[in-house]
Amino acid sequence: METAHTDKNFEQKLNHLTDNLIKMSNIVEKQIEIAVNVIKSKDSSDAQTTQNLDEQVDEVERDVRDLSFEIMTLHRPVASDLRLVFTALKVSKELERMGDHSRNLAKRAISISSSFDEDLTDQMHNLGKGVQKMVNQTLESFFKKDEVQARISWNQDAEIDRQYKSLLSDLIERMHNKETSVVDEGTKPILIAKSLERIGDHATNIAEEVIFNITGHYIDLKKSDFE
Amino acid sequence: MVDQNSNYALQTSEVYVHYGKKMAINNVALNFPKNEVTSLIGPSGCGKSTFLRCLNRMNDVIDICNVKGKFLLNGNVDIYSPDIQVETLREKVGMVFQKPNPFPKTIYENVAYGPKIHGIASSQNELDEIVKDSLHRAGLYEEVKDRMDDIATGLSGGQQQRLCIARAIAIRPEIILMDEPCSALDPIATAKIEDLINELKENYTIIIVTHSMSQASRVSSKTAFFHLGNLVEYGETGKIFTKPDKEQTNDYITGRFG
Repeated sequence: METAHTDKNFEQKLNHLTDNLIKMSNIVEKQIEIAVNVIKSKDSSDAQTTQNLDEQVDEVERDVRDLSFEIMTLHRPVASDLRLVFTALKVSKELERMGDHSRNLAKRAISISSSFDEDLTDQMHNLGKGVQKMVNQTLESFFKKDEVQARISWNQDAEIDRQYKSLLSDLIERMHNKETSVVDEGTKPILIAKSLERIGDHATNIAEEVIFNITGHYIDLKKSDFE
Repeated sequence: MVDQNSNYALQTSEVYVHYGKKMAINNVALNFPKNEVTSLIGPSGCGKSTFLRCLNRMNDVIDICNVKGKFLLNGNVDIYSPDIQVETLREKVGMVFQKPNPFPKTIYENVAYGPKIHGIASSQNELDEIVKDSLHRAGLYEEVKDRMDDIATGLSGGQQQRLCIARAIAIRPEIILMDEPCSALDPIATAKIEDLINELKENYTIIIVTHSMSQASRVSSKTAFFHLGNLVEYGETGKIFTKPDKEQTNDYITGRFG
């Protein structure tokens, strides 16, 4: 366990910063989980929940920003403390964007007709479940300071991208074939898939921040590193 | 091992210092690159000031202090050699102390004193030039040019410290040692000294002991962290203050002990 600061006030603020990030992560994970379920359930009250949770996310993000600023101004953090504050600011921004995508995809999901192609719905749902798992593991790597896990999570994005591209080409092909249930929904399924893919990208960014927080370096990760 | 690398103003190795039976420095090796500022940091009693004082043999006057090790100036001068006069060494390695300590003499005399006793000036005109130039380099000339015959102790604390720096550089040293030079100064006077340190490194190698982490990070390019007489870590200041290699260094600079 890390030694506590001599300055208890500083220690409390850093703990509070971490607590805020945990809180924000929990809300965003919940948001993603609900939004992914809405793809199948089309439950409008759940979609509304993602909207409500988004307001909470924005509020915690502002708290993280203000507290980080206060810590930098009053305590001049260095070394591991500086990296934590720097990472907190960037991770909170990524989480906030993930929340926005979750809210938007839930909103679009309830506007899709219940007669929409079941197979494509399953594909979107599976993509969502994959993203959900990736986000969970990335955030866990952050709080456990687990570099190996962060790299594994980062690597999962390749699979997310593969699934996204496959879903996209499937959607386009069916539009070409003028399958009514697909054509009628227009770009909505594409935008849902894109939101999920973007959440994966934000998780990738967080994984890079986790590695920086632990090592002090930004690693120029390439997908080929894992192949 | 000390090598003959002339990129270093001063090289030290296998340094041990004892006060009686008490060990103050334990097998330290540290080299100081020319024209760079190196900060020595660490909690009180870690040995950083003791180590600094070894570098111009200030510890010689302490009877119970026993210094061992290799100290090489410019790659070839053993500063503890019996052939080396302490006065000659201190022409090369000047020192500025924690508390400004001007002589109870005029501003002019404070700066002229060193060049006079070391026979650096061959004429009054040359001495005048050295005094003027040193005060200029110390960023003090404009403030004192019309009152060179005033007693130096009438200057403010920050001015007195800059006068001490002018006094140190008047004898044209290669290295300036500074032992917490700003600890008695207000933020503006501190900023002036730090700005001066930044300018002085063009011509001098500076080694500074400081308790202020932010000062170390602002003024130095290299930082050495001491703890209980050991050199725990030495490296680029930017690295020490973002991702030090040793957990002990991280704990100290983030305020987790000391």
